Amino acid sequence: MTTATQDSRSFAGGVHPPEGKHLTEDRAIEPGPAAKELAILLSQHIGAPAQAAVKKGDALTAGQRIGECKAFVCAPVHTPVAGKVKDITLLPHVVLGRTLGVVVEADSPAQPVLPSFQRPQGFDPNAYTSEQICNAVREAGIVGMGGAGFPTSVKIQPDAKVPKDTLIINGCECEPYITCDYRVLMEWTEQVVTGVQLVARACGAKDVYIAIEDNKPKAIERMNASLQKLGLASAIRVAPVKTKYPQGGERQLIRAVAKKVVPTGGIPPMIGVVVSNVATAAAIADAVVCNRPLTHRVVTVTGKGIAKPGNYYVQLGTTVQTLIDHCGGMTDDAVKVVLGGPMMGIAIADLSTPITKTGGALMVLTKQQIGKDRFELRQTPCIRCGRCIAACPENLCPTKIAHAVKNNMLDLAQSYYMTACIECGCCSYVCPANIDLTGYIKTGKILLARQKKKMPS
Amino acid sequence: MPQEINVSFAPHIRQSLSTRRIMLDVLIGLMPAVIAAGFYFRGPGLALLAVCVVWCLATEWLCNLIRKRPNSLGDLSVVVTGVILAMSLPPAFPLWAGAVGAVFAVGIGKMVFGGLGANIFNPAMVGRAFLTASFGILMTTWTVPATIDANLPQVGPDNLVDARTQATPLAWSKVAIKDENGASIYNERLPLWKSLLGEEAGSLGETSAIALLLGGLYLIVRKTIGIHIPLAVLISAFVTAGIAYLANSDAYVQPFYHLTSGALLLGAFFIATDPVTAPLTVRGQWIFGAIIGGFTVFVRIVGEYPEGFMYAVLLANSLRPLIDRLFRPVPVGGRPNA
Repeated sequence: MTTATQDSRSFAGGVHPPEGKHLTEDRAIEPGPAAKELAILLSQHIGAPAQAAVKKGDALTAGQRIGECKAFVCAPVHTPVAGKVKDITLLPHVVLGRTLGVVVEADSPAQPVLPSFQRPQGFDPNAYTSEQICNAVREAGIVGMGGAGFPTSVKIQPDAKVPKDTLIINGCECEPYITCDYRVLMEWTEQVVTGVQLVARACGAKDVYIAIEDNKPKAIERMNASLQKLGLASAIRVAPVKTKYPQGGERQLIRAVAKKVVPTGGIPPMIGVVVSNVATAAAIADAVVCNRPLTHRVVTVTGKGIAKPGNYYVQLGTTVQTLIDHCGGMTDDAVKVVLGGPMMGIAIADLSTPITKTGGALMVLTKQQIGKDRFELRQTPCIRCGRCIAACPENLCPTKIAHAVKNNMLDLAQSYYMTACIECGCCSYVCPANIDLTGYIKTGKILLARQKKKMPS
Repeated sequence: MPQEINVSFAPHIRQSLSTRRIMLDVLIGLMPAVIAAGFYFRGPGLALLAVCVVWCLATEWLCNLIRKRPNSLGDLSVVVTGVILAMSLPPAFPLWAGAVGAVFAVGIGKMVFGGLGANIFNPAMVGRAFLTASFGILMTTWTVPATIDANLPQVGPDNLVDARTQATPLAWSKVAIKDENGASIYNERLPLWKSLLGEEAGSLGETSAIALLLGGLYLIVRKTIGIHIPLAVLISAFVTAGIAYLANSDAYVQPFYHLTSGALLLGAFFIATDPVTAPLTVRGQWIFGAIIGGFTVFVRIVGEYPEGFMYAVLLANSLRPLIDRLFRPVPVGGRPNA
């Protein structure tokens, strides 16, 4: 049995970007904007899109299911407010470009009410069967809220062949500026613990860790105190991990906490590990204990380009524009709007893009924050200094891959294991020549996927 | 409210480290050696330095003009080439010949390949190789440091009466191999402290071991260069010289003597570590450094020339693509099975 010690665990590679968390870390979660209209996407997860379960003109009650799934890897979608279906149409999506979504007109637009979660007296996760938990999670439409959006019910299902014996709850939040998971850990501590117990029960994990970066001592303390109080200190252990980006990448986290290596091209369940985000754990507790679907999430609105940064409890489907207006609008020197953090977040051009289940942060960046060279994308020749290799947490050779993609040599790029890239952005971050290494690698992966589709083997 | 917003790939922030900053750090690291060169070789030495730098700059500017490329002098890499070229030349080298070397170094060594990042060989060493091949006598005429009284009888190995020139420590060690009196060099010819400070004959920037170590340390502390290549060069040179010394301690000088003399220290910290012409991976860098250190001493003890660093670097540069290919990084999760 591995024991959780106080020394910080880590992985090789990675970078230390300025944290920038001071903007929002001490701001309590507050209600987000009262949206008149919500744009609820049917594809907020990895896998098959949900199918619309309502028609134009239908009246909806709060929490009603509006998208249902036929496929196995899929998650249903619910409406956060009571209202009317105004339209079912193509809406902007941060990754997919445009995808089908439901536009809901709220009957009486109001700010969301902060949820209150009461942990039942003498709560026992064994009162639920694994199947009950998985079903409730699936019905509630819960997906990985850390960013990838893999349907959680699929992830936490027990596996007879490879028992999922280790569960790591990811509270690292290694991305600079983002503080939504930190606030959830601080304010909804018992709810998170309840969710962790339920996930552990569902997948049958024996070793359960809550990994928190050591730059959040208050969260570590609060979580330890809560586990002590509930008498769970031996069953669930807080694992402080070293503050380093991308510590919260699941492959890096598994290496640091469980000392196991996920094979290249593989996923954590192959080695019996489940990684789940703290916000997901909180949502699971809500779904199983209170029977509430996932319709809201905490979003950190931050960056120097926004007037009122903070952590907001937002209805899913709220557009970026509405959220920005609620936060006092953008400053004059704002130049970039990013969904996600500064290292992996995606810059958007269309402010009518809605917030989805996976969107934990909205950043408005100024030119000064981005830096002149990065803003102007001024690249100089690669001097082969090898800093990208030293920074790569997966020990790849970013410069070779990027230059192979640039010259349209996908075979060569793949011989340097292009598809093993986790797109964390460390290589671009350290490159002294300011080459968009991650950008080239992402492009190469897309080109390769297209090539494979054209010529099925 | 801003007029327009911008999109690009992530990440949206960046470490404030540029190629220019790296090259500036190398120049700062070279400063102790430049100061030592000014102290020991005075006006002519500094004039040579200035000529090399100016002609390197002019060549790159002209090449960019011909190739209709944006000006690239701002990245300072060409200044580094100029300084290193000058540092590797004899102090009293004629200025016109220095200019020829500079033009060749940047023009043929760098710009014909496409400029920074594309050259196969270290440009400064290409320039020096060209000068060695073209002006053999000039390249082996060594001035006595200005701190030594020029009126003293000269101490060269072949008894040429010239009050202004002196043999280098490596030339002595070469003679010692023939005469089988290697052990006496430290005692009679050159005390170790003189070699450390730099009060000996040699190339402009190579003589002062302390100045070079100081600069090298700065680069390592600043993380401008990795420690692997310098360490590999020095260990490999020490081991090779040590084997020769153990085999015949009469003929061959002590291994420490090899480390402090010639271009080994300048090269280990400033020439072999040129990122463009060195391997990408750490394992490759160890091999690369070992080849340079070993081959340098090999030339010194069995070759025709007293010094072999330049050849060692050019040889290792040509092996670099092969080394890179052999030592590809393997992903943390192992090679995929597909």
